[in-house]
Amino acid sequence: MMTIKISNTPAIDASFRDPSGFLFMREGVLYRQVNQIYAEDYTRLMDSGLYAKLVKAGLLISHAESGEGQAFQAAEPAVAFKTVRPEIVPFISYPYEWSFGELKDAALATLSIQKRALKLGMSLKDASAYNIQFHGGKPTLIDTLSFETYKEGEPWVAYRQFCQHFLAPLALMAYRDIRLSQLLRVYIDGVPLDLASELLPMRTRWNLGIATHIHLHASAQKRYADVAVSEARSGRKMSKEALLGLVESLQATVRKLVWKPAGTEWADYYAANNYTDAAFEHKKVLVGDWLSKIEAKTVWDLGANSGIFSRVAVETGAYVVSSDIDPAAVEVNYRLVKEKKEQNLLPLVLDLTNPSPSLGWNNRERDSFLQRGPVDATLALALVHHLAISNNVPLPRVAEFFSTCGEWLIVEFIPKSDSQVQKLLRSRADIFSEYTQAGFEKAFGRWYTVKESSAVRDSERWLYLMRRK
Amino acid sequence: MILLYLDPGSGSFLIQLLIATIAGLSIAIGANWSKIKRLLGKKKHKVETDDEDDDDDKDIQHPGD
Repeated sequence: MMTIKISNTPAIDASFRDPSGFLFMREGVLYRQVNQIYAEDYTRLMDSGLYAKLVKAGLLISHAESGEGQAFQAAEPAVAFKTVRPEIVPFISYPYEWSFGELKDAALATLSIQKRALKLGMSLKDASAYNIQFHGGKPTLIDTLSFETYKEGEPWVAYRQFCQHFLAPLALMAYRDIRLSQLLRVYIDGVPLDLASELLPMRTRWNLGIATHIHLHASAQKRYADVAVSEARSGRKMSKEALLGLVESLQATVRKLVWKPAGTEWADYYAANNYTDAAFEHKKVLVGDWLSKIEAKTVWDLGANSGIFSRVAVETGAYVVSSDIDPAAVEVNYRLVKEKKEQNLLPLVLDLTNPSPSLGWNNRERDSFLQRGPVDATLALALVHHLAISNNVPLPRVAEFFSTCGEWLIVEFIPKSDSQVQKLLRSRADIFSEYTQAGFEKAFGRWYTVKESSAVRDSERWLYLMRRK
Repeated sequence: MILLYLDPGSGSFLIQLLIATIAGLSIAIGANWSKIKRLLGKKKHKVETDDEDDDDDKDIQHPGD
C-alpha cells in the first residue's frame, strides 16, 4: 500500500490504496495521476481499443490527456507517467445508498466490463462497488486504473471482491430482506461470505449460482484459510475459456436475482393520501416556478418517494438527487429513470434521521451525505411532519439541518388537522404544542428568510420558498 | 470468521477454478452443440451467434444510445 501525500495538491482520500495512481484536486479541477508503475497497463488500455469501446458503451468514464494542447501537470512528478482529467460525475453515491436495481445494474456493468476487457487482453484487478458511479443515469466505472494485462492461465483476482461487494448483498436483499443492503455500511470491503452464507435461507442452496459462488465459496475460504495461495494453486492454470465461463456464471446468477417493490408503505402513497388532483398540480406548478426563478442547478429532493417532484426539478434544468428512506419507493424511482432514460436524476436510499456517515480509513474514505453538498436548493415536501412528529425532532433543529444542505429551501407545512398528520398522531401522545404554522414560521425564521409562500389550492397545506440567512 | 493472519484467497482461488472449469466446459459444449448433435446423428441445428456485447447491454439502459 502506498500513500502519496503532497502538501499543495493532496491525494483524495478515496483513492489512496492503489499504487497505480491517485486522484487530486488542483484549482478546483479533478485530475488523476497515472504512476510510472502503471504505464504499461495504461498504454494497453488506450492502445488496445478497450478504452474507446467501454467509453462508447457508457461503461467507463472518459478522460482527457491534455487541455488546450498542453499535458496536465502531475502532482507528484517523480513517480508520474501521465496526468489525466476525468469527466466529472455530478454526485458520488455509495452502494449502501443504492436500491436493489441500482446495485444489480452496477454488478452487471462490472461483469460486462470484465468480459470486454478479457476479449482485448486485459482483466479487472478490482471489482469494487465503489468504483461504479451513476453517470447519466447508468452505472459507469470511474476508476480508469482498474485494468491489468491479462496473463494466460491466471484466475480472476477480483472474484472474491465481486462476490463480497455485489453478489452477497444482492442475494441477501433478494432472498432474506431488502434492508440487508445496509450491511455494506458496516463492511467497507463487502459482506463477508461466511456471514452471507449463514444469513441466507436454506433454499438458496438449491440455486446453483448462490450455492457455489457464496455457500461453497465460504466453506472453501474457511477450509483453506491457512493454506498459502501458491500452495493451493500448485501450478494449476485457468484457461481463458474457463475464466469467461466464470464471468458468465456470475452474470447468470446476478440476472436471476429479483426483488419486487410490492406491498410497502409508500408504493401506493399517491393513491391513498388526501390530495386532490388540483392540490397536487398546484404544488407542482409552485415548485417548478420557484426552482426556475432561483435557477437551481443542483437539487436534493429529500423524502422524494418515487420522485414526482424530483422530475419537476429536472424539468427546470437541475441535476437532482432524489432520496427516500423506503427502498421500494427508491426502486420504483430507479425503474422510471431506466424506462425514461433520464440522465439527471439519481434515486438513493437515505434515512434522514441517520444520514450516511463518513466511513473507512481515517473516517475519510467515504464522505458523509452532508459532506457531498451543499446544493443550490433542497426540496422538503410532505417531510417536516415525519421528522417533527414521528421522530421528535424539534422544528428549529429541522430547519438547522436543512440549512446545512444548501442556500435555498422549498418546504411544505402540513397542519395537525391534515389526515396524514392525524394518522401519525393516532399512535402517540400529542406533545407537539409548537407544531403550528406560527411555530413553524418562527422556527424556520431563525435560519431562513421567507421569499415566497402560498397556500396549496384545495388543501390545508402551505408551501414556502426560503433563503438561508 | 475474522481473518487476521489467515488469507481467504486460497479458498477463493480453488472455488473459482472449480466453477470456471465446469462453466467453461458447458460453454464449450454449447458452442459445439450442433457438431455434437450431428455426431449423434440428429438434425442440423442453427448455430447461435456469439453476440455477448449486445447481450450484456440488455440489462443496462444506455441513455442517448
